[in-house]
Amino acid sequence: MTLSHPTVTEEQARQLREIVIDVLELEPDELTETSHFVNDHDADSLLAIEILARIEQDLDVDIPQDQLPEMVNLAGVWAVVARNQRGGDQ
Amino acid sequence: MITGLGAVSSAGIGADDFTAAIRDGRCTTGPITSFDAGGFPHRNAGEVPGFRPEEWLTRIDPDRWGRSSQFAASAARLATLDADLRPEDLARARTGSVMGTTSGESAAIEQLVGEWRSDGLKSLSPSLVQAVPAGRIAAAVNTELGIDGEALTLATACSASNYALGYAYDMVGQGEADYMFAGGADSVNRWAHAGFYRLGALAEEVCRPFDTERGGILTAEGGVALLVEPYERAIARGARIYAEVLGYGLNCDADHMVHPNAATIAGCIREAQRNAGVTPEQIDYICAHGTGTRTNDATEVAAVREVFGDAMPPISSIKSMIGHTMGAASGFGALICCRALYEGFLPPTANVERVDPELGRGVDPVPGKARQAAPQVVQNHGFAFGGNNAIVILGKAA
Amino acid sequence: MTTDTARRPLPTDDFTPTLTTLAVTSTAAVSPAGVGTTALAAALAVGGATGGEATEGLGDLGEETLPPRPVRAVPPLPFAELLGRKGLRNLDRTTRLALVACQMALDSYPGSIGPGAGVVMGTSSGSVRSSGEYSLRTLQAERPYLVNPSLFPNTVMNCAAGQVAIRHGLHGVNATVAGGALAGIQALRYARNATRQGQAERLLVAGAEELSAQTGWGWQRSGALRPDFPLGEGAAALVVEPEEVAHAEGRPVLARVLAAEVGFAPRGRLFATLTTCIGRALDRSGVAPADVRSVALGATGQVGADRLELRAVRGALGTAGMPPTVDVRQAVGETFSATVTLQLAALVDTWRQRGAHPGEAALITALGHDGSVGCLVVRGPATSPAH
Repeated sequence: MTLSHPTVTEEQARQLREIVIDVLELEPDELTETSHFVNDHDADSLLAIEILARIEQDLDVDIPQDQLPEMVNLAGVWAVVARNQRGGDQ
Repeated sequence: MITGLGAVSSAGIGADDFTAAIRDGRCTTGPITSFDAGGFPHRNAGEVPGFRPEEWLTRIDPDRWGRSSQFAASAARLATLDADLRPEDLARARTGSVMGTTSGESAAIEQLVGEWRSDGLKSLSPSLVQAVPAGRIAAAVNTELGIDGEALTLATACSASNYALGYAYDMVGQGEADYMFAGGADSVNRWAHAGFYRLGALAEEVCRPFDTERGGILTAEGGVALLVEPYERAIARGARIYAEVLGYGLNCDADHMVHPNAATIAGCIREAQRNAGVTPEQIDYICAHGTGTRTNDATEVAAVREVFGDAMPPISSIKSMIGHTMGAASGFGALICCRALYEGFLPPTANVERVDPELGRGVDPVPGKARQAAPQVVQNHGFAFGGNNAIVILGKAA
Repeated sequence: MTTDTARRPLPTDDFTPTLTTLAVTSTAAVSPAGVGTTALAAALAVGGATGGEATEGLGDLGEETLPPRPVRAVPPLPFAELLGRKGLRNLDRTTRLALVACQMALDSYPGSIGPGAGVVMGTSSGSVRSSGEYSLRTLQAERPYLVNPSLFPNTVMNCAAGQVAIRHGLHGVNATVAGGALAGIQALRYARNATRQGQAERLLVAGAEELSAQTGWGWQRSGALRPDFPLGEGAAALVVEPEEVAHAEGRPVLARVLAAEVGFAPRGRLFATLTTCIGRALDRSGVAPADVRSVALGATGQVGADRLELRAVRGALGTAGMPPTVDVRQAVGETFSATVTLQLAALVDTWRQRGAHPGEAALITALGHDGSVGCLVVRGPATSPAH
């Protein structure tokens, strides 16, 4: 598994980035693929769940809550979303 | 002194039925019937099955009062009977009530939301609107029993009943009141079910505190009332004394709205013990907040360990049997503590198959059924959203 | 005033404990009259409209509109400037108003409140808009659990108190009293007990009420308020501490809360119960009816309750006669659980400006539709601040 996002589309990647920026109240250039939600952006457990909830709602995917610990940065979010795509492309 | 107990819960109506179910370790949660839970992946809760308020209430017209108020008033009526008092006895004295809640009259609010959705806000039913204020929960107790003292509703969420019991203890102790009812009430509602599910805090089938496989809470409902009166009065009228409030402690995490904090909880335990004039070695049993979420139980045990070291007393959670009754939760905890002190047993934790090794050594959740014992001093925990910690220490009546 | 001790049969009954006096050492208010207690007191002095029906301060009402009746809204506030941008997004209006009032009360407090301080917040049912919208979302969403977890704490009634504690690091007792019209009286009563028990040396006592389409239509449909009486909103906060602590530490005392008495009329005996309650409060305060120089009423415009309240006050004060009355709600609209705290903040400001007469006391009354009654007896500072 690499940090790339083989199965999220460009559009999804853009949406996910916007969700994270919005929920964590960031300036767009603050968020990189590997900047850490908790350590770099002051996220807490509630905000992490809010990110998950927004993704489920806006992208129409189901993400088991036990995968939350992987969603520590944008790359982690892409990986989790890719894995849980509805009728995924694998 | 606590001399009367009343309960309306999934585990039975009346303190005797409630206690019997708890002693037996009976899990009384089940599929939700009060709203359509079909769209939720998790569909269980602790509802009061077939509650008919008119069976218990004589003065209150159930049509004019919300479900939580009905629970509270019924519980207070039952506590009055249990204390072998007539409402006239209470009405002649300076009697008040202090009741805790998390979501107040949530059932009335959800009915109004239904009207809003169907026909807009302009269609709201006046009688439902009038039933909304949370302060009506204590007002219902005073109305039902015809008492003219204080009627205070404390909305300090899931530790509110412990706040209430502490306040009642102070009012009676200072001579501000002759009798005080303390307790709490809440109703199962869709929005809390959705919120807890979304937080990942809702169990799928059952609540199994302290277990390796614990998956969260089950929302629940009910009403509980404890009658508090001064020692001299209880003795003078020959009352049965279940237990004595020895003291209590309150503090606030001031840290996070939903995440508990072990250090402040430990501080709250120390404050309660200091206030009660007891040391950790004297505590024979802890009635845990024990919600059954991974975070709560780990944090709570860590806090207890911080105060007690490795000599932790048995610690169990009745939420395994009745779910999380929110504002009433620590009131049910206090009620079972009273019966435990009076009858000599330790309340169990149901649904525990394997105590989570990550909680560390020495955790005794009294698995299965109640254990015969002779506790003298017990500690009742209540923690809440907003970091509102409240702990009451109860002792066996001398 | 005699209390009804005669009918009590048991040995503990005839004991009436002495009351401890709470000193008010800071006040703040945010209301339709504007930011600050002076704006509030000025609006009270003119005794009527606050100059605007503007509701742009309310912001987004969602897809709803307010009912067709007079309203008074807090003017637009720069919340991000007052409270900081971060973390603001998920806070509802009730919490924001409470946070602004508490922030201001701490800013004007001459000293440091300290981490052991407590919070007592008055409410009726929290933010009904927040819980209602959350509940509605579970009906409207494609799947009922597609709700925003970060908004969930707003649906719980102790949200504002918890947020105030988090923001200011207050680890003392943190309580929320759900008393509606009586909330401010109950909050001060609770705070007095907390200081007496040593649970906190100082407390922030506050009340907050937001105007929303949901509560607006609730008032409209309930019929509890005369149709021409405006709906309002606002928040007020006080710092209170034992009088001897304030003196020992050299803090000016703005007002002294002598009594916070409550009672309940279980069978529609509101008039007699309120009269008794006021009498007991004066009695326990050692305040003669003639020393009551102003009365803040809490039920003006409430169908049935307003006349009853006035009669009870008149009855309790007896031959001393009726001093001037005010009701902050006439200036800022129905503010329900924030009313008593706003009344007290306005009263303190009036005393600050003109100086209280020696021994001058004020009476603040409230009654609820459920049968609850209560009152405060407040005295001005021991010596008038010389301005």
